[in-house]
Amino acid sequence: MSLSTLTKPWEAMSYGFLDGSAKRELRRKMLKSVAVPGCQMPYASREVPMARGWGTGGLQVSLTLVNPQTRVKVIDQGADDSVNAASIRRFIARVAGTPTTMDTLEADLIQSRHRIPEEVLREDQVLVLQVPNPEPLRPVQPNMSIARQMHADADYGRMWLQLYEQIVRSGRVMQGASYPSLVHGRHVMTPSPIPRWDVPKLHMAEHLTILSAGREKRIFAVPPYTRVEPLVFSDVPYKVEEHGHLTCTRSGTKGFFMNEVPQDDGSSAFEVSDSEWGVKTIRARDGIGESRGETWYKDGEMPQ
Amino acid sequence: MAYVATRGGERAIEQSERLFREEMGSFDRERVEEVKKGLPYLIDRVMGEASLYDEDLAALALAQTGGELYEAVLLLRAWRTTQPRLQVAEPIEQDSLFTHRRISAAFKDIPGGQVLGPTLDYAHRILATDVLQGVSYAPDPVEPATNPSPAYQPSVSAWQAENDLLDSPAEDPTKGNDIPDLTREPLLFPSKRAHTLQSLARAETGGVLALGYAAMRGYGQAHPTVNELRLAEAEIAVTHPDGRQFSAGRVKVSQAEVVDKKGEKLGIGFAATFGWNEVKCIAAATLDLNSPSAEKGSATEEEFFLYHTEGVESSGFCIHFKLPHYVTFQSSLDAMRDAKAKKAAKAREPAE
Repeated sequence: MSLSTLTKPWEAMSYGFLDGSAKRELRRKMLKSVAVPGCQMPYASREVPMARGWGTGGLQVSLTLVNPQTRVKVIDQGADDSVNAASIRRFIARVAGTPTTMDTLEADLIQSRHRIPEEVLREDQVLVLQVPNPEPLRPVQPNMSIARQMHADADYGRMWLQLYEQIVRSGRVMQGASYPSLVHGRHVMTPSPIPRWDVPKLHMAEHLTILSAGREKRIFAVPPYTRVEPLVFSDVPYKVEEHGHLTCTRSGTKGFFMNEVPQDDGSSAFEVSDSEWGVKTIRARDGIGESRGETWYKDGEMPQ
Repeated sequence: MAYVATRGGERAIEQSERLFREEMGSFDRERVEEVKKGLPYLIDRVMGEASLYDEDLAALALAQTGGELYEAVLLLRAWRTTQPRLQVAEPIEQDSLFTHRRISAAFKDIPGGQVLGPTLDYAHRILATDVLQGVSYAPDPVEPATNPSPAYQPSVSAWQAENDLLDSPAEDPTKGNDIPDLTREPLLFPSKRAHTLQSLARAETGGVLALGYAAMRGYGQAHPTVNELRLAEAEIAVTHPDGRQFSAGRVKVSQAEVVDKKGEKLGIGFAATFGWNEVKCIAAATLDLNSPSAEKGSATEEEFFLYHTEGVESSGFCIHFKLPHYVTFQSSLDAMRDAKAKKAAKAREPAE
């Protein structure tokens, strides 16, 4: 036995950047997180060649799941052309040789920051959400070890109290994005900072969603066909952003989550947040071809 | 097809990186050598925070990032994490350290003696502006002592333990690959002792100093006395697959022990790191000293200071706020506007 028989021939980088032991750790914790939906699993998050907080958790999951045939789509705030999405997409393609796409329907794996695409995802697709703060209890309990105990006890009283206080003070629940949601009737999770508009898309969805926080070293999942219910009181219904009536000034599409763009004259214009949906709408309008798939929202409403 | 700006985004990030690199121009092995030779304490700091002992790689990381410390440490960490763990070295005992500097503030003299070694502690901090006028700076030669101090020294706390002043920590029999490794496992609380010491060893110097200083100023319960501070070189003994033990070389290490009165005995805090970095070790040992009695949520509680002194994580999260957040912002605006409209509608209602 010699040192050379114990090691592989030297290569500058493993396939998909992460070494075998890192990928094994990720796979184990992904399986655990699928087995206990919505429960945060601590994992040995590795450093990757991007700064912490820039999608390193999602990236580790993506790098573990891809093979050279996996078609990858990366979005940030709904857009494929956002600079960090471009950077992550380029990195995955560079180290794993994966083909890339912007078409939601064509993608096998979608890594996203803060949005779920407007087109319905299928059973054969995986959505990887980047998570800055995996702990829904953080606003009421910043200490991670105490919060962990509260999850174990399903002790969500303070969470409810916080929502109640918001209604008393402001007349409504003031939570913007990251709306706390009960998964499979047991664990409260943060859906990551997706808008409230996107949370219902997770409920009983056909696709697998993996949520990964690299900096905080926690991974959790919503398996296919799993209940995801936003925390609401029975007499105060869940409210998504009032975007159902807005029209995109660039593509003309209506009834989807919009970006507000302040105008010089003091007014606001809107453009659709899912950039590829906008592109597809423009293509259809210009007669280049219809490529739009089925959407979760119909006429600005999420069917019950 | 005005909507498709993807190539624009890719081009922009490419060019922004080029702009950053253009400032520094091309560099080669020579610059790496210069950085390594001219900035040994910076190299030490970077090696400690990266938890990777390699002066050449550290110098390369500094040259490649133009001295952007957080970037340099991240480069090294990202490289380190992909490397296989071939061997676990033998544990290093204090009395086997090849010691360059060793001082104790607790006693006037200690067995083995106070060894000042290399330090700027008593230097007058006057900027050598002559150098800018073209005068080269030549340090005065060191005059060797007639009686050189011994290279290997016993630990001060061992003497204190013998004299019943302090309880030495129980010996940990864990060996080799069974020793918890922070770079291969998540940090959970209450933290494993190995994880605590590893976290402190690779913590960001400024962060450790800030929280350690807060503890020293009075936000902690314990007042540190520097029991022993060492700058040394440690022999890395590893076992060849054929069973022979051999030295893989020496690494520079620093360590600090700080103590405080705790009932009738002394409480002890400890920290050690790669490279020579005294400030970090004293501050980290102070946090360690304070943590057993710390309140939950206080700055001297383990969970608080270990999370918040992690330089790669804290710096990364800090700069992530530059990323677009317009979706989350839009979501908040929607709630704010709706709440405001509700309030206005209510105000218009006639009083009953």
